[in-house]
Amino acid sequence: MDGLNLKISSSPHVRSKDTTSDLMFDVIVALIPATVFGIYKFGAHAGLLVAVCMLSAMLSELIYEKLVRKTVTVKDCSAILTGLLLALNLPPELPVWMAVIGSVFAIIVVKQLFGGLGQNFMNPALGARCFLLLSFSKQMTQFVYDGVTTATPLAVMKAGAQPDMDIVSYMFKGDIGGTIGETSVIALLIGAAYLLIKRVISPKIPLTYIGTFAACIAIYAAVKDYNVSEYTLAHLCGGGLMLGAWFMATDYVTSPITPWGKIIFGVMLGLLTFVLRIFGSGAEGVSYAIIISNLFVPLIERVTAPKAFGAGADVKPDAGKITGDEQKNINKKTDKLYASDININKTDKNDENGKVHAKFDVKGIVKAVVVIFVITLVMGAALGAVYDITKKPISDAALKAKEEAYKEIYPDAASIVSIEEQSESITNKFLNDTLHAAGYKDNTIDEFNLVTDKDGRLIGTIVVVTNKNGYGGDIQLAVGISLAENKITGISFLTLNETVGLGMKANEAEFKEQFKDAPFGEISYTKTGSDSANVIDAISGATITTSAVTDGVNSAVAITGLILGGGSVNE
Amino acid sequence: MKYTFKGGIHPYEGKELTMDKEIAEYLPKGDMVYPVSQHIGAPAKPVVKKGDKVLAGQLIAEAGGFVSANIHSSVSGTVKAIEARLTASGSKVSSIIIENDNKYESVEFTPISKPVSELERDEILDAVKAAGVVGMGGAGFPTNVKLSPKNADEIDRIIVNASECEPYLTSDYRRLMEQPEKIIEGLRIALRLFKGSKGIIAVEDNKPEAIKLLREKLGEDSDITVHSMKTKYPEGAERQLIYANTGRYINSKMLPADVGCIVHNVDTIYSIYEAVREGKPLITRIVTVSGDAIENPCNLKVRTGTSYAELVEAAGGFKGTPAKIISGGPMMGKAIYSLDLPVTKSSSAILCLSRDEASEYEPSACIRCGRCVSVCPGRVMPNQLARLANAGDMDAFIKNNGMECCECGCCSYICPAKRPLTQVIAGTRKLVLANKKK
Repeated sequence: MDGLNLKISSSPHVRSKDTTSDLMFDVIVALIPATVFGIYKFGAHAGLLVAVCMLSAMLSELIYEKLVRKTVTVKDCSAILTGLLLALNLPPELPVWMAVIGSVFAIIVVKQLFGGLGQNFMNPALGARCFLLLSFSKQMTQFVYDGVTTATPLAVMKAGAQPDMDIVSYMFKGDIGGTIGETSVIALLIGAAYLLIKRVISPKIPLTYIGTFAACIAIYAAVKDYNVSEYTLAHLCGGGLMLGAWFMATDYVTSPITPWGKIIFGVMLGLLTFVLRIFGSGAEGVSYAIIISNLFVPLIERVTAPKAFGAGADVKPDAGKITGDEQKNINKKTDKLYASDININKTDKNDENGKVHAKFDVKGIVKAVVVIFVITLVMGAALGAVYDITKKPISDAALKAKEEAYKEIYPDAASIVSIEEQSESITNKFLNDTLHAAGYKDNTIDEFNLVTDKDGRLIGTIVVVTNKNGYGGDIQLAVGISLAENKITGISFLTLNETVGLGMKANEAEFKEQFKDAPFGEISYTKTGSDSANVIDAISGATITTSAVTDGVNSAVAITGLILGGGSVNE
Repeated sequence: MKYTFKGGIHPYEGKELTMDKEIAEYLPKGDMVYPVSQHIGAPAKPVVKKGDKVLAGQLIAEAGGFVSANIHSSVSGTVKAIEARLTASGSKVSSIIIENDNKYESVEFTPISKPVSELERDEILDAVKAAGVVGMGGAGFPTNVKLSPKNADEIDRIIVNASECEPYLTSDYRRLMEQPEKIIEGLRIALRLFKGSKGIIAVEDNKPEAIKLLREKLGEDSDITVHSMKTKYPEGAERQLIYANTGRYINSKMLPADVGCIVHNVDTIYSIYEAVREGKPLITRIVTVSGDAIENPCNLKVRTGTSYAELVEAAGGFKGTPAKIISGGPMMGKAIYSLDLPVTKSSSAILCLSRDEASEYEPSACIRCGRCVSVCPGRVMPNQLARLANAGDMDAFIKNNGMECCECGCCSYICPAKRPLTQVIAGTRKLVLANKKK
């Protein structure tokens, strides 16, 4: 038997066939339906983005690992998967260079700088998506569908619209605007089914996530007296929930390993998504919910660590067979046998019936809550500090922006002075009291400026007014009013938080120009096409915004008339 | 009862290679080697010296303490030497070498033929002790010690571990198929020791014929039931087996007797039968010689002390070039580098594989997929333990239930990153135990 060249190693001597790259590849395969659908729906540019993201993610990984002399791990398919996931989370018309920045950020900053595969604390694709959302918010929230910029159904819903079953079915099929990979629920579900059948992912996280979210939304819809089933279904089908729940929240590296941990994680995601969508400023919420929850994974795992097989059995009388002193003896004996000073699961306390209590480590949970509280406190303080530091530069910038706005709406103005500097009796409070007495209760005058020409003659006013009835809260606008010509010279927005694609259209010239040169008198709006200078066309789908803006402009004209006597001060 | 447990894996079984091969007796040709330590506990003390003539079945080394076992010659011949020899465990152990005269002259055995109901407790224990019976599933714990726990009156279950969950192994299965009556009789003898106790024969459901046969042979016997266990590795791990058959939990600090159970391997039960009914010591066992690098995979009835090399030859030699040879099953067996090793009381198989899957893959970074956690029958977190073990943090290792690991190998098997989790954890467990002994 000489000449044998035998390998020696520790047991076990057999290995399962699945490798890391197989798993990653399975996820890529599962994303094919959504990817193909996205490219088919949104066109060549979407395809280009997908290719560019995958390629740049791979190259970033390759170059970084070469540079720092780490083992090159491009072959494990994880970088290409990150690239693909990022692409599916991008709007189809995003400039290619932004996509490249996103991929590089995902791989280098989120993944490699934290130690590479398995070490990142946040989903790289979502980290990059949120980075892009903050850096290029306009491009990242512009969704083109069938050649026109559209609002996503969720944005429309957030603006107050009610979905019907037709909309839900469009969303299910994917006949809507959105990111490349999020629109078609059916394509995503096919991929999810593949992952479940291949046992690549456990259904725990997606099901608890979707379940919790659906329950919250249904309750919210019931409270708001919406159509519960349609409203809930539309929320489930929209905003990347399916993509997030099945493909992003289940990312191995950034989700809990323990069975109970997965359930807690899913519930947390559901609650966060609900809160972000309904009470947050954006309509979507999935990405932020996931990356926020990612941060809690180590904590969740810690409090949900499984109890070892038979933990506590040595102090539990077995069905009344072994009790009391005998049990103690057994413990002593076994303890001695293993010379054990190990305190396994000390937190398991038994009651008289020998039942093991406490599924979770209660002390651990309390500790975790305290830690989270302290972290929140520290973060709050830090945010406050940042706010203080940045307040001055921000207010300077705001001032400059205001001056430019004034110039825009009143090009003839030579000098602009606040009326408070001219007359001590006319205070801001007086102005508002006067305005409110005149019936414009929803408006607040912030500034009342007198405009003079180069000869020092009073020619008009610029009134800054805030109307509280905007869809996204306050709308602050400056209105230029010419007393010489008895007309409005223009309007400009200082604060506008309306829905992208709908209310935000108020800031487009087409809408603003309607107010220019409008003669004095109450301005109203119509949805059917204006035929008068005092009637403007409403922004379609954003009646609330139109109404608020119109009301604001009317109040500015009214206060000018009340204080300066309308056109009579001309001489 | 659930007949299964949480976790576990389904590796390639490989049992079809030898499942239907009847047990063939193999008579050794070369020198026989009997290590004095082939069981847990104190080494046996040789009672022969160089030059002595011995007969098959003759005591050549007696138990060296309470937890120890007698060792008998399995052939007739002359004691050639007492010297250190390599064993499958990887270490050299003092061994009695006997030159086989190929005559197989045997000592006279004295069977006890009374009906089971008349057997005395001491009669049984003495016969088992004299025969040097030890646990033949792998650990080699002296059977007479196991059969006399301190809380004997609390024992209400004897479980025969016939699950044979290790891939490739079929020795227990052949025993069940060919000698079911003797297994049942052996179990009845063991049950006689514990008043009111019930017997359970636990067989995995991938052996339906054995289950059927045993149930037929048992007939109306209400004291023994055959449990059809879900096929899954490691169904036969002691703690999991007890839970699957009785719903009782034990942890690493406990013994099966703490929950009223005693677990024996099929071959051990068979040896109890032989010890009592035939008066024969433990000098033969069944060894499965299998794997894809073996010409004629087979089940051999082998005399202890026989060289592994002879068994490989008896199985037709190698087919191609073996890359790895394992003593035992592929999950918990030991890789060996030489075939010049003796069959001991707990050698269950010689496995010759043409591929070594363990060294084919390069370990890569943990992706936290959690598969090791979901397959772990001990319900610990192998990924976390391996990390702590690598960091050398023994306190945290113990705190995170590192000592509850049974080294079954499921985590290493399933790991997609091919990380040697079991190896790392097992290594640290040994260190912890060694530190305690100090």
